[in-house]
Amino acid sequence: MSGALRSEAPARRLGKPRKSSGPRFTPLQTAILLLFAFYCLLPLWWMLTTLAKDNGQLFSTPGFLFALPSHLSENLHTLFTRQDGIFARWLVNSVVYAGLTAAGSMVVSAMAGYAFSKFRFTGRDALFNVILATIMVPSTALVLPIFLLMQQIGLINTYWAVILPGLVNPFGLYLMRLFWDAGFPSELMEAARIDGASEGTIFYQLGLPLVRGGLVTVALFAFVGAWNNFFLPLVVVNKEELFPLTLGLSVWNQTSSSSGQEPLYTVIVLGALISILPLVIAFLSLGRYWQGGLASGAVKG
Amino acid sequence: MTDLSLPTALQAPSPRRKKALANRFTPWFFLAPFLTVFAAFFVAPVGYALYLSLFIKKRGGFGPARQAFGGLTNYVRAFQDSEFLQSLLHILLFMVIQVPLMLLAATALALILDGVKNGFAGRFFRTAFYLPYTLPSVIAGLLWGYLYSKNLSPFNQITGLKTDFLASGILLFSIGNIVTWTWTGYNMITLYAALQNVPGELYEAARIDGASNWDLTRYVKLPLLRPALTLSAIFSVIGTMQIFSEPFVLRPLGYVPDNITPNTYLYLVVARDGNFSYGAALAVLLAVFTFILSGFFLRSVQGES
Repeated sequence: MSGALRSEAPARRLGKPRKSSGPRFTPLQTAILLLFAFYCLLPLWWMLTTLAKDNGQLFSTPGFLFALPSHLSENLHTLFTRQDGIFARWLVNSVVYAGLTAAGSMVVSAMAGYAFSKFRFTGRDALFNVILATIMVPSTALVLPIFLLMQQIGLINTYWAVILPGLVNPFGLYLMRLFWDAGFPSELMEAARIDGASEGTIFYQLGLPLVRGGLVTVALFAFVGAWNNFFLPLVVVNKEELFPLTLGLSVWNQTSSSSGQEPLYTVIVLGALISILPLVIAFLSLGRYWQGGLASGAVKG
Repeated sequence: MTDLSLPTALQAPSPRRKKALANRFTPWFFLAPFLTVFAAFFVAPVGYALYLSLFIKKRGGFGPARQAFGGLTNYVRAFQDSEFLQSLLHILLFMVIQVPLMLLAATALALILDGVKNGFAGRFFRTAFYLPYTLPSVIAGLLWGYLYSKNLSPFNQITGLKTDFLASGILLFSIGNIVTWTWTGYNMITLYAALQNVPGELYEAARIDGASNWDLTRYVKLPLLRPALTLSAIFSVIGTMQIFSEPFVLRPLGYVPDNITPNTYLYLVVARDGNFSYGAALAVLLAVFTFILSGFFLRSVQGES
């Protein structure tokens, strides 16, 4: 398993676009592409047309079309004032969870990737393969025992409960090893050692700037993974003020569909849009990094 | 003369040896943070799950149930638990229908996009296809849930029908559609990136030999895609085993059985029934199944080539 993971990826250039081999799309190809783009964008379009409706308009006006009068400001008001403005708290929580997970996972992966890439030590390859193989363990299988262990040391219902497990990032380690292999020549290291540089200096001042692309890529994927995470927070936090956006919106969906209250559909849709905006912006602005990450075989959340 | 005959160990260590000694510890210094979190949040939970799965709740007379050692009882129970087996069957269905369809679509789209100059149209389509992946699975589930819901669905509004996309007969396909919607573009980008890294000379050489477009695709590009496709397939299998958020957020919108996927079943066994040790056994079994499936898949693909 891990053998296959390793053998093919280093050969690939990390996300460098190349040449073309043909002139233009045939009509059939264009039709296929347009059809699939329609499929991909349709739910997002529905989201845009729905977030300014009120519940009445949701049923009385045509779906997929904007409706007047716009209730955007009312929906925004409901979104940010319901339950004493807890939505803003969820937003902040998501930023904290994803930000700290990304930063921590970047540091941890960069250091470990450096060790695997630049040093020979007993059991190196075996250890690396074992860590990579853990990608195959379903996260649910881990979250349950993590919950029980955390309960014993009192970590449940803390920020740490959501952040710490996300620091284990085998894919980040794998990616950083590739970047260290390709970006930091061992001769440079040797030369610095002969000049009397300490190991810390070599890593921090000489090495890290050379693998900046890898750092951004790892941080980006860790951020997205943590931002989208649902199962871990569902299990390890049960106080609403500690929820991330994903969990909060899911709970609103549950309560608004079941209890006798006024349903919140369009407000939830608006909240959903706000919760994906940071990701869409991150992906669109850091395009070359995620393409590079995917090119080396990124892992599903 | 006598100085020279001293055993090396007794001589003052040369700077070089000191350095070599320091070097032996340096990698472990850099590994320490990763290994610490790995031990705490991977090794320990796995070990604990294994340990816990060996216990059962015993009710002896009055009073609350006690934990008692039960050996493999929980595992035996899992293999006789028709609800659990049913959930595995659902996943198997996913693997033989949804995964191949998704990878087929991703491959076709990647080949089409690779065949043409990387211009504005190409960028637009890549972005459009990729966009669904940036949505958290919970949000994707919610959105589609509203599109599916009998009362809310704009599809029903347009067609005037009252289709219930969450009816028990098609629920699995509706969930499959959400997964396909989210992941096809992601897989497409992976495959596209693999195609883009093939040196252009290879294609030119094939053209000079008189290869048609179809020949080029069939005999050059598809074989080159093989490693990337294998990887995508394995990650899809792993991802399929983990489906949870989508059915979970659909629950309030329609009737979603507890055992629609192994993960929802596992979660409910633990969260609702409070049966931690049985849940632990199910978690261990799921991990083992994932390992076997991925290994089996890898073996069969490698065997072919």
